Amino acid sequence: MSEPGAGRRWAFRLLVLVVIALGPVVMRDTYWRSVLVVCALNVMLALGLDFVLGYAGQLNLGQAAFYGIGAYTSTLLVTRLGLSFWPSLVAGTVLAGVAGVALALFAVRLRGHYLAIASLGFAVITYQVLLQWISLTQGPLGIYAIPPPPSLALPGLPVIDFANPARMFYLVAMFALLAYVVLGALVRSPIGETLAAIREDEVSAAALGINTPAWKAFAFGVGSAIAGMAGAFYASFIGTLVPDAFFMTESFTVLAMVIVGGLGTLIGPVAGAILLTVLPEALRGVGDLRLIVYGVSLTLVVLFVPGGLVGTVRTLRERVVERRAPGAATA
Amino acid sequence: MPDALTVVVQQTINGVVLGSLYVLVALGLTLIYGVLVQINFAHADIVTVGAFAAYFFTHRFGGHYVLSIGVALAVGAVLGWLINSLVFVPLRRRGSELLPLIATIGVSILMENASLAAFGPIPYAFESPYSGQVIRLGRIFISLQHLLVIAVAGVTIGLLYAFIRYTVHGKALRAVAQDVETAGLMGINPNRLIMLTFVIGSALAGLSGALLGPVLVLTPFAGASVIVKAFAIVIIGGFGNMEGTILAGLLVGLIEAFTTQLMNPGLIDIVVFALLLATLALRPTGLIAERREENV
Amino acid sequence: MNHLFRADTLSKRFGGVQAVQAISFEIAERAIFAVIGPNGAGKSTLLNLLNGIIAADAGSTWFGGVDLTGLAAFRRARLGLGRTFQKIRLFRHLTVLDNVLAGFHVHHRIPAWQYVVHGGAYREDRARFGAEARELLAFVGLADRASVVAGSLPYGEQRMLELARALATRPRLLMADEPAAGLNAAEVERLVERLSRLRERGLTLIVVEHNMDLVMNLADRVLVMDHGERLFEGTPADVQRNPTVIAAYLGERAS
Repeated sequence: MSEPGAGRRWAFRLLVLVVIALGPVVMRDTYWRSVLVVCALNVMLALGLDFVLGYAGQLNLGQAAFYGIGAYTSTLLVTRLGLSFWPSLVAGTVLAGVAGVALALFAVRLRGHYLAIASLGFAVITYQVLLQWISLTQGPLGIYAIPPPPSLALPGLPVIDFANPARMFYLVAMFALLAYVVLGALVRSPIGETLAAIREDEVSAAALGINTPAWKAFAFGVGSAIAGMAGAFYASFIGTLVPDAFFMTESFTVLAMVIVGGLGTLIGPVAGAILLTVLPEALRGVGDLRLIVYGVSLTLVVLFVPGGLVGTVRTLRERVVERRAPGAATA
Repeated sequence: MPDALTVVVQQTINGVVLGSLYVLVALGLTLIYGVLVQINFAHADIVTVGAFAAYFFTHRFGGHYVLSIGVALAVGAVLGWLINSLVFVPLRRRGSELLPLIATIGVSILMENASLAAFGPIPYAFESPYSGQVIRLGRIFISLQHLLVIAVAGVTIGLLYAFIRYTVHGKALRAVAQDVETAGLMGINPNRLIMLTFVIGSALAGLSGALLGPVLVLTPFAGASVIVKAFAIVIIGGFGNMEGTILAGLLVGLIEAFTTQLMNPGLIDIVVFALLLATLALRPTGLIAERREENV
Repeated sequence: MNHLFRADTLSKRFGGVQAVQAISFEIAERAIFAVIGPNGAGKSTLLNLLNGIIAADAGSTWFGGVDLTGLAAFRRARLGLGRTFQKIRLFRHLTVLDNVLAGFHVHHRIPAWQYVVHGGAYREDRARFGAEARELLAFVGLADRASVVAGSLPYGEQRMLELARALATRPRLLMADEPAAGLNAAEVERLVERLSRLRERGLTLIVVEHNMDLVMNLADRVLVMDHGERLFEGTPADVQRNPTVIAAYLGERAS
């Protein structure tokens, strides 16, 4: 990587940190601060899916299920067993991760469409289980009065109360950032190269000695664990948990965020999640038609700009460079 | 208290009716997959729109129910033509396996939300004039609607079979399903054939919408409730395999009828999908591997 | 004599078609074993069975004394069984060098944490593999194309890249599925030369081919398949004279 490229990346990272820090300052409205929290949650979901789809090449339509598993696991541990939030968060993350690995191992010989449908089937089954297992989940009635994470009392600082959406946003955003950093490291490592090989051509990757079932399971596990973590935060933020929040269409929404943002990049899902969370909210005045945003953007992007937002930006940047110094644009 | 035999016979009839509906939906999917090797996620939404078309034809325009089936069929055909032209044809040139599927997910979301905006979330009461008319055979009850469903399904499947087995187009369709390149060399235009298949498959979806309307809760998401079952049927029966799909569809219908009788209806989905996942585990490529070796 | 590779009554059925029927053969170390036959004879299916991509209905295979039955494709690759494909299966969006480097993944011997955070051992491996990869590229004549995106290479060079990538796993036996397909005469000549040199360096080869020049020049033994069955097996000279083989090929004249 050339030096100016590295410099630009650091500037971008700084910008992201500034935006995160200033978000709740700019948005003083409780409603919009809540939207910010949802943004951060969706960013995590989208990052998790992008890792599996964009980097490992597996179409996982079960993200909604992992979201739900994380949410219900941590919630039940907190409300039924009286566990503190933080170990419950870990439990939710781990359980979702395990479920992801299990799904991948189960679907080990499936490719393309079959895997997509198997993961969708898993999402449907999970939803039905959450709905029907009333003694455990209280079904459609839902679980109420879920407490936010316990207030943090750090030495020398005022107590941080997470019932406040702004504080909640910082907490979730921090974890989203953590997920981003971890995925970034994975992607740039030999693991990322292995996954890229599997994505490009699974059959020849296997012929080169790459343990494709194990790596696919790994990718699924990471992607689903992140979704589970988001789920735990979601439950403690919303305060009420119903199975309908994890209907299979949620998987499609996350997919739209990843594709519209830019598949196979890390900034892509972030941008897509933010755009497709904020836009429908901003369009609330238009009525139910605003939900069309998901479908329209996804279809248009796939048809015309498969690289998504990130792809468009890159193409534009290359064109600008071309115009300034023809032939200087790198491959 | 009806005796066991009555229950069995009654549920078998219900199961066959339900199964016939599922078969009609699944057949469209499997036909399309057979030639295109692509899944149209928006297939379910064509079912929904077909149902709404039939609803408005009968309840707002006062048309006859049986005619509304034809209307829904036509609507489905048009939608199929649109989706193929606008989505699959342009994407076929890109040669990606997953992009078309994702595009149809986009179309599906779009159709659902457009329907939501147009029709609202409150269920519509789609009443067929035949639902109320019941024939009684001893202790067995069959509504005329049920008979109509079986009749329409039977005729449709029969026509489809004849078409594929005996007409030139039908044979060409099977040729393309086997090997697109060779079919092209034999002078068959694969693109036209794919379009024809798509239109037929989507017409089937529309048609099933008209038949399903009185049975399902008619909301913009009605199709979604059927679609994953349709996928399950297609996979269990084998992608592209007509006979398998018919058998699997009837099987699922029967399972559902008996499960409703014996257990909590909410468990139906779980049972069906457990069956789906079991099929995938045991025969991961379904029957398609037996018919067509993956070109490595 | 101890054979490096042995196949015993391999069979595979697809629906109504018996793609491979009771195929048996033995291959000595450093031999070049060719499999020929008209289109649809089952040659590629046979390779898929040997390679582990599909499971045989019956029969077994031995490689270096190890029974391969039930072993997944990637495990066979790790034992030293390499494979190139009839339909080019490159990692199209990665560079030429990255494609070859992917073949070196099996050779990584670094602690798990270094998979995520690059430590010293990782960097050493990288340096070594990088150098070896460039040697392989030079061997197939792609030395100056290292940073080109694989998908944009001309067809002949893509085939050479596939070969280099398969060689990166340091196979003991390489199965090449129509390596000369689509190559012009000059490229075929270079291919023959490279395959000979590989044999000198100790590689054993199974080659499925339509190109008779290549087969007759290179192969020690030839297996002729037709409709999934063994039609004949012998030296190239024997094969050329055999009337049944000639009959099977009438109407399927390979250039």
